[in-house]
Amino acid sequence: MERTEALLIADLCEGDETALAPLVEKYKRMVYRLAMQITKNHTDADDVMQETFIKVYRSIRTFRKDAAFETWLYRIAVNEALNFVKRRERRRESTLETASEAAYEATTRYRAQIANDPHAHAEKAELRHHVTEAVNSLSLKHRTVVILHEFEGLTHAEIASILNCSEGTVRSRLHYARKKLRTLLKPYVDASNV
Amino acid sequence: MRSKCDKIERLLSDYIDGTLSERQNSDVALHLRSCGLCKREVVALKKTHHLLENFYVEPEASDAYYARFTTRLQQRIEQSAPTALHQQLFAVVTRLGWHLLTQMHRRIDHSRLSGFLSIRQHAFPYYIIGLTLTMLVVAPLLLNQVSPQDDGNHVLGRLYAAAKIRFFSADSPVSVQPTAALAIKQDKTGTQPTGIRRNVSSGRMTETPAIDSSSDVWQFTDEPVTEGYIFTTLQENDSDTVPSAALDIDSELLAYAELPTQGAFWARLTGRDVLTENRYTLLLLQGMDAGQHALQQYERKWGGFKGFSQKLLDVPLEILSIPEVYDSREL
Repeated sequence: MERTEALLIADLCEGDETALAPLVEKYKRMVYRLAMQITKNHTDADDVMQETFIKVYRSIRTFRKDAAFETWLYRIAVNEALNFVKRRERRRESTLETASEAAYEATTRYRAQIANDPHAHAEKAELRHHVTEAVNSLSLKHRTVVILHEFEGLTHAEIASILNCSEGTVRSRLHYARKKLRTLLKPYVDASNV
Repeated sequence: MRSKCDKIERLLSDYIDGTLSERQNSDVALHLRSCGLCKREVVALKKTHHLLENFYVEPEASDAYYARFTTRLQQRIEQSAPTALHQQLFAVVTRLGWHLLTQMHRRIDHSRLSGFLSIRQHAFPYYIIGLTLTMLVVAPLLLNQVSPQDDGNHVLGRLYAAAKIRFFSADSPVSVQPTAALAIKQDKTGTQPTGIRRNVSSGRMTETPAIDSSSDVWQFTDEPVTEGYIFTTLQENDSDTVPSAALDIDSELLAYAELPTQGAFWARLTGRDVLTENRYTLLLLQGMDAGQHALQQYERKWGGFKGFSQKLLDVPLEILSIPEVYDSREL
């Protein structure tokens, strides 16, 4: 019989390692997506994934059962990814980051998706590329709130809790990120009929 | 009017999300009826939102990647052994030492000696010193007791620290294309110990590498790798050098180790022939600056340096990253 998420968490708390696999199965894509969007590098995202699930495994006893597991996991994954990027920056790898972002360009699968999508109209493919690029070009702080709010659908309060900041800060970052995106995508915004 | 627009403009993002209070919402709606500029702003923001919603492409990995990831994660969890025996013993001894000192303090106190010696007020620093000295004496003994032992054929080195090294993939736009080779230790018979190679080829640690003490030569392999580990070991034998691994690219060193100690580095400085031809020693650096400072000291002491160390200064950091540094406990 398939175990519920609550049961899996309870089992994991009691040291049942087999309970981790179904949780990983359920959330791996979400964690990868987040890690990739924040670190902008597949290999780094892979490391963040590993550390996130290892942390879940080791810290599951600290998880409050009345809270949402998904939000707790978001918190771990996002902070792990942010710390990863900060550590990378502290190592004065600014040149590396530039190269890394370029490597991201070359290695990320979405580029292949865009390029090889036989059903996509060329203009749409280009639009996808530019929209995705615009988001990726945002600063780390702005990008993080945009990802969490626009694509992961989290509320301001949830994001504030994950990033350990006030709701006002989240709103402010989101506001400036949107303005920046609007500027970056101006030709498409102007041409849009929506 | 402009200041009103500025005030409203800050609320527009929330207005679109529908997260304003009822009063703020009606304030914004009222303003929009009379202000074309803000109205255009709302339209632009809505269009931007629409573009993000419909055209942003989220990154996704292949099913094969997720399958590999799950396997690696499982293996790592299985390997995360409980605290090492010597760490447990150390903790027990610390507790025991503290307990004994506390008891001693009580006995002195009860015997009224404290009355004229004022031990109660002044003894605490001595306890700390006593405890530290005890630890200094006991800890090395314990560590020697539980360090990897001679299994009959090998005297094992103690895995001291490891740094994960990563190169960009071959399709990276970086101008220098890495064809790196990982240095491994080669024993006298010419057969290469499989421990490190296996770790490298599989991209993860599978076991604590056993270093064969019958040789202290690290040689570069021809096997190209895109990711590997730097290992350093502290030998338990009479050699005071620090055998290590390095990465080499067309004879230009790419390795830059950021390892958590300087102790081993200073140990290396006492070695006399670690930098002879075809022999390489890893510099343990706290950071590039510290490393260069140390190199200058080494230069003054030994009149120059060769091979590995010299090349280390030319590390093109832009094509190398060290995403993780592990310490021996984690391993």
